[in-house]
Amino acid sequence: MLQYSLRRLLIGAGMLLALSMLIFVMLRLTPGDPIDAYIDPNVPMSPSDLVELRDTLGLDAPLPVQYLAWLQQAVMGNLGYSIKRPDQPVLSLVFSRIGPTVLLMGSAIVISIIAGIASGMISAVRRNSVVDLSFSLFAVTGISSPPFLSALVGLYLFSVYFDWLPSGGMLTPGRDFSIADLLHHLILPAALLAVAQTALIMRYMRSSMLEVLNQDYVRTARAKGVYEFWVITKHALRNALLPVVTLIGSTIGLAIGGAIFIESVFNWPGMGLLMVDAVENRDYPVIMGSTLVIGACVIFVNILTDLAYAVIDPRIKVG
Amino acid sequence: MNAMSKISSAIAIAAMMATTAMPMLTAPAQAATLSGGFDVGPGGFQGNFNPLAATSGFTWLSVYFEPLVTYDEKLQKVVGLLASSYEVSADQLTYTFKLADAKWHDGKPFTAKDAKFTMGLAQNAKTGSVLAARLTAVSSVEAVDHKTLVIKLSAPSSSLMDTLTKVMMLPEHALSQIAPDQLAKNTWWSTTPIGTGPFKFTRYVTDQYVEMAANSDYRGGKPALEKVINRYFANPAAAIAALRAGEIQFTYVDSNDLGAFKNNKDFRIIEGDSFVVNYLGFNHDSPIWKDARVRQAVMYAINRDAIIQSLYGGAAKTANCAYVSEQVVPKNIEPYAYNPEKAKQLLKEAGWDQINGNKPITLLTYYTTPLAANVMAAVQAMLGQAGINVTPRAVDTPTYNSIVLNPTPDTSQFQMVYAGLQNGPDAGSINVGLNEKQIPPAGPNVARVRMPDLTKALDAALGETDAAKRDARYQEVCKVMNKDLPWGTLWVANRYGVASAKLKDFVWTPAPGGGPYQAHPEKWSIAE
Repeated sequence: MLQYSLRRLLIGAGMLLALSMLIFVMLRLTPGDPIDAYIDPNVPMSPSDLVELRDTLGLDAPLPVQYLAWLQQAVMGNLGYSIKRPDQPVLSLVFSRIGPTVLLMGSAIVISIIAGIASGMISAVRRNSVVDLSFSLFAVTGISSPPFLSALVGLYLFSVYFDWLPSGGMLTPGRDFSIADLLHHLILPAALLAVAQTALIMRYMRSSMLEVLNQDYVRTARAKGVYEFWVITKHALRNALLPVVTLIGSTIGLAIGGAIFIESVFNWPGMGLLMVDAVENRDYPVIMGSTLVIGACVIFVNILTDLAYAVIDPRIKVG
Repeated sequence: MNAMSKISSAIAIAAMMATTAMPMLTAPAQAATLSGGFDVGPGGFQGNFNPLAATSGFTWLSVYFEPLVTYDEKLQKVVGLLASSYEVSADQLTYTFKLADAKWHDGKPFTAKDAKFTMGLAQNAKTGSVLAARLTAVSSVEAVDHKTLVIKLSAPSSSLMDTLTKVMMLPEHALSQIAPDQLAKNTWWSTTPIGTGPFKFTRYVTDQYVEMAANSDYRGGKPALEKVINRYFANPAAAIAALRAGEIQFTYVDSNDLGAFKNNKDFRIIEGDSFVVNYLGFNHDSPIWKDARVRQAVMYAINRDAIIQSLYGGAAKTANCAYVSEQVVPKNIEPYAYNPEKAKQLLKEAGWDQINGNKPITLLTYYTTPLAANVMAAVQAMLGQAGINVTPRAVDTPTYNSIVLNPTPDTSQFQMVYAGLQNGPDAGSINVGLNEKQIPPAGPNVARVRMPDLTKALDAALGETDAAKRDARYQEVCKVMNKDLPWGTLWVANRYGVASAKLKDFVWTPAPGGGPYQAHPEKWSIAE
């Protein structure tokens, strides 16, 4: 197991290296560099005003030299400074954003799991009822609405029209930190991020539940006089959950994609907002740094998952 | 009622309770605190705290930093701010500033030594200063005594005062220990900056907001507000949502988003000149625009009045050269009134069929707003009717700059641009976009305008030391532009901000780069 883990870690490091090279080359192929992003075409300013800045950033050096210089520092744990925010090191900028993104995504996933499973279950039990039709309508709408649309509609309804929830940000400006304030700001973006995933889970849960409810053992349980509530929650639910659990794992990627839109609309200070801003400003160090950190997280989680399989299912051998 | 019904009901009741509880969670507004989207829109620069590196964002920076001189509220003349008065010698080579009795936010006095130190930083490109190239005419800066600063020039410069409005004074005692090339990276800017302005920096919550508290020792009197907060927004639409929800009291607003605020007594719309002339830049490296009749045809083919009325709601002035201000636009210049027949005739005379015919011409722009997309579509349709087939292409600013500022560009990628350039308050601002000496990489003359008469007129205007004759010089620039058409000039549009009706004595104007100008933040107040 140890040997396997080490081998996987080494492969992971190699993948990170390849990822960093790929991102580095792709960034340089993108039209425009940080200096181009700095110049506002509306004001009288030219690249000649920024010669010194270009020198400082080392943008004139050949690409392999630039990459090796970056890699050398990255290995030492120094991801450089943001170009747009030169007084902020990339590493601290990235780490300060992971927490808000994890909080937003985690909350959305929890909401979608609870709401999706509950509504799917109710729909299946109340098949063809008004409740079932309403939930199904929600599911179709939820699945077919792109995150930016549901985010804007939600923002208009709950912040502007009803004036129930804040329109953006993570905390009320000028006020000391409080959990209640954080939750107040979190509800809307997390709920909107959860919409698509809830809809998907609901649909899977409904069909899985319907299938299970027709199984012989459910009929047997009913015949034995078990209360309907226990038939559903104890006998049917457990078996119906299996395909849904698999689905939940595979839709986390959907939440990451959605988080980028939601963070932009709600000004949620997470990785998505940071990366969108960095790309718009061609902030190379921030793009490289955040991609590397996300890549490292994904690779690490994959390794853990593989190891967990081996622990959970003895039939799977590693090494 | 069976078990499932109970669960359904419980969920429904919980949802209803949560919904009813939501308004109770909404935070009450804080008294004497003004929150605004001060860095939203074209004049903003979110995340920049360093005035030496600021290409814009001066509206917010001047809440806590101050320059020696600034523009008045109407952006018509330069007036003293940290300089209580100033004199310019007859030969225009010596500028003497008498400094006001001001204190830094830490209580230490502001002196001429601080002003000299700041000028040194601004002139040194190693600090990351974007002002260095504009201060090359400065030969020496002397602190004669605590309250007198003398700036000497090697040659007269008509734009010096305009540049000085952007040089925010910095404290020598706080920054002199930092090496110039490390200054931009120092955390001082976003953690403990001190200025001389009416508000003091208190905190910055990364990419969320910046908070300032009243500077009770401000020489102009204690500010009426206790706090001013600058909220950051990823886009103007998010800021508008916050304004409508009452979370902020001010933001910049695109002209096509004004509808929600018109005839609404809760808000006040602030309108102002953008000081940006929009134009169609003919790429003069492309042979298709060589014949002046073709350029004239473009002007006659576009119904600018119709576009202004239908897309800008009438809030723009037609530009027949780079200017629209009366004092620099001579009488009897060609108005290029919409005349599609004349456009067709001119194209025929020039032999357009042989020059280009119906081949598509790329019209490149960095404007990506819905309004700009509509303008481009209208221009495309109108030019198409005359026989000029343009294909609009909107890209982001870095991409645009990488194409047009490339010293050896691919002409086919931008035979024409739809762009804008600052045309005031200093009329000389347009020089960089039209002077032959400013062709990339030297400057941003992206249309590669090589017109000796125009360059001569611009040089003469910039070198004019007699303020009384300067307008006449710029009239000559306008005249040459109107005749030779280096650009197809379109209009100068108004820009807008929307403030809560509760705000009192709030001064804002859509100045290019956000100013600076005399906004008197110490007088801003908010009704309970």
